[in-house]
Amino acid sequence: MKRGELGAFLRMAAAEIPPARGLIPLLALLTLWQLLAPGPSAYFPAPFEWWRAALLLWDSGQLLPAFAATVTTFVEGLVLAVAIGVALGIAIGTSRPVERALGPLLEFMRAIPPPVTVPIATLLLGYDVTMKLTVVALSAIWPILLNTSSAAAHVEPLLRDVARTFRLSTARWIHQVVVPSVVPSILLGIRVAIPLAIVVTLLVEMLTSLPGIGALMIQSQRNFQSAQVYALLVVVGLFGFIVNDLFAVIEAIVLRRWPARGGFRSG
Amino acid sequence: MTARRFSGRLWWRPNIAGLLTMAACGLAWELTIQAGIIDFQYLPAPSAIIQGARELVASGELAAATVHTLESVFLGWAIAVAAGVSLGLLLGFSPLLRRYSLATIEVLRPMPAIAFVPVALLLFGFSIQTELMVIVLPSLWPVLINTMGGVMGVHARLGEVGRTFRLSRAAMLYKVFLPAATPTILVGMRISLTLAVVLAVLAEMVGNPEGLGYGVVSQQQALRPDLMFVYVVVIGLLGLALNALLIGVVSVSFPAAAAELKGYRP
Amino acid sequence: MSVAGGDTTGRQEHDFVFSCRSVSLKLPYQGGNRWILQDISLDIRRGELLTIVGPSGTGKTSLIRVLGGLTSCTSGSVRINGEEIAGPPEGVIIVFQDYSHALLQWRTVFLNVALGIEGRIAASELRIRVLDALRLVGLEKNADDYPWQLSGGMQQRVQIARALAVRPAVLLMDEPFAALDAMTKASLQDELLRVKQETGCSIVFITHDIEEAVYLGDRIAVINGAPGRIERTFDVTLPKPRDQILTRQLTEFLKFRYAVHQAIGGIIR
Repeated sequence: MKRGELGAFLRMAAAEIPPARGLIPLLALLTLWQLLAPGPSAYFPAPFEWWRAALLLWDSGQLLPAFAATVTTFVEGLVLAVAIGVALGIAIGTSRPVERALGPLLEFMRAIPPPVTVPIATLLLGYDVTMKLTVVALSAIWPILLNTSSAAAHVEPLLRDVARTFRLSTARWIHQVVVPSVVPSILLGIRVAIPLAIVVTLLVEMLTSLPGIGALMIQSQRNFQSAQVYALLVVVGLFGFIVNDLFAVIEAIVLRRWPARGGFRSG
Repeated sequence: MTARRFSGRLWWRPNIAGLLTMAACGLAWELTIQAGIIDFQYLPAPSAIIQGARELVASGELAAATVHTLESVFLGWAIAVAAGVSLGLLLGFSPLLRRYSLATIEVLRPMPAIAFVPVALLLFGFSIQTELMVIVLPSLWPVLINTMGGVMGVHARLGEVGRTFRLSRAAMLYKVFLPAATPTILVGMRISLTLAVVLAVLAEMVGNPEGLGYGVVSQQQALRPDLMFVYVVVIGLLGLALNALLIGVVSVSFPAAAAELKGYRP
Repeated sequence: MSVAGGDTTGRQEHDFVFSCRSVSLKLPYQGGNRWILQDISLDIRRGELLTIVGPSGTGKTSLIRVLGGLTSCTSGSVRINGEEIAGPPEGVIIVFQDYSHALLQWRTVFLNVALGIEGRIAASELRIRVLDALRLVGLEKNADDYPWQLSGGMQQRVQIARALAVRPAVLLMDEPFAALDAMTKASLQDELLRVKQETGCSIVFITHDIEEAVYLGDRIAVINGAPGRIERTFDVTLPKPRDQILTRQLTEFLKFRYAVHQAIGGIIR
């Protein structure tokens, strides 16, 4: 039933988007722009110029590698953040003494805005892809870790009594109760982490000119290739939009089995 | 720190374990650098950072940078709140407007803030307008969405109460809907403020070379990690301070809403 | 406490202060429409307490909303003092079941009670009316409290006071005591009877509790079926003042209770 599943998947993806007529303001703006300021310009190139610049970038073989570099870092960083964040989050959340001890430290580190970690990482780790990956993962990890540990620490107290009545081992407790309980919070954390990861990835590229869309954007800006800048803006926007929509679908599929967002509730 | 109701007496039980851990980490960091065990070439000891702080305060650089960032944050946030609340109210009350604009919002919202930096630089060069362009749009979304959601989420019963007492439309808005939606709107404003700080710093790192964000990047490039960390710490403290300030102001003017605001963790 | 009844100067005194004729109601339901009420006709006299009792799903809440002008009926008419209503009429106030959502939780009790009259009468008069209303329900000491600080029963009394401050001709009450515990319910029932005695306003009281309907009512209308229609109405000839223990022990009380039960069809869903 692959085809049916694909259809259902696509339908779910489409369902996440509000009615299409809501795009009218955006389309109207673009149309107006095109009509009022057609042709190239240093500041406000027409939308059609963006399209032409994009095609140029594609043909010249610059767009695809840059896009691939950005997406690769983003995905790898996010996966790392999820793996480590969830594991650490559960470990911290299930152990009350550890949670209390590490609590303020985590809060302190959370207060540092992720973009600020980029120069720090650059100094400490140098100008390479390892640094880029590290800093993206480090930025994305916080919402995931904090959400997971908070949810793990606040598993429905009644379930704790249930586990003790049935004398479940710690391993079974974590595996069969805690993990399923925290899944909605993990998903929430990932949802917050995604835009963070995108921003940090682009930021690293802009600051260090490591290959990627960000580097391409800054380069275009410095060369005053305005249409290119806008074209890349659209590329980034589309990327962000698609990633968010995809994740919303994944979230919907995974959460189908849960009674309500936020995990188990009593009653 | 966890605040607990502790049989009415000790309202706030300090987190000893937490404090000790923090202190231990700080101490370990200092000692391992001093003893030369760890030598990341560019990782300064806490003592060096404090020394650097004195240097920056004395030269007035720190104060100037902080003031600039604060200006950007407040200006950008104020614009975002004004626009966000107005649009949010419009959309909250008009299903028609919602149908013709929600999709646009959903498309524009995931736009990473940083992508605006090159465009802003193109249009405004090195100036505060560049920062504002980066700050305002993404900060607008939480306020707009929370205002819209807050208005739409007002319980149906309240609307019916207004109608049974035959309140005018203006009275309904002013006496019923706005007060009922205020807690949610305030949460949106708080999210927006935290976001505005991050965005200001971001804009100063890659856009306008002024303020705390630029301080971090310039000291990094000058290979002065001790000074760089001073800026990092100040940025962190700034975020916390502004949040506390907002909660304080809200507690005074909207006591009922303050409780919900404090419970929120961004 | 003055007698309620709206402004009747220059108008003929009607026996029926509030009435509805052949009211039918159709509402959208799952793509189509569904008849909720069918040919309801009721008359309420001045100072009378009419209880409307019936099982759930018979459209009782919809009827209150039609009488209160929140929903327009599909056919038929609702009149107050002879005039047909269009929207929530003056002198008719609805008291809702979910008091915590119906009160403005961010306002003090005093300001809540003032909602219907602020901006419409002089400030000095407003103060008198609010305190009078609070005195009627026994909450004069709680004027500066917030609703969320009060118990359920007290919050419901605030809602009643809010309605009374307007000096309404008719109070429409939608299962107002259903969310309260038995003892609070009993005490509020007696308070309601006392309030009616002192103010002389008419009350339409919806409930699914047969005993409550018999205890409170001067007249009872039994609503039944889907779409709902009035099965029977009868006068409740029990002695006044009513007493929670004594009245409920009377043979007469049991007879009325039985009659209502029968009218509903003997099946309590």
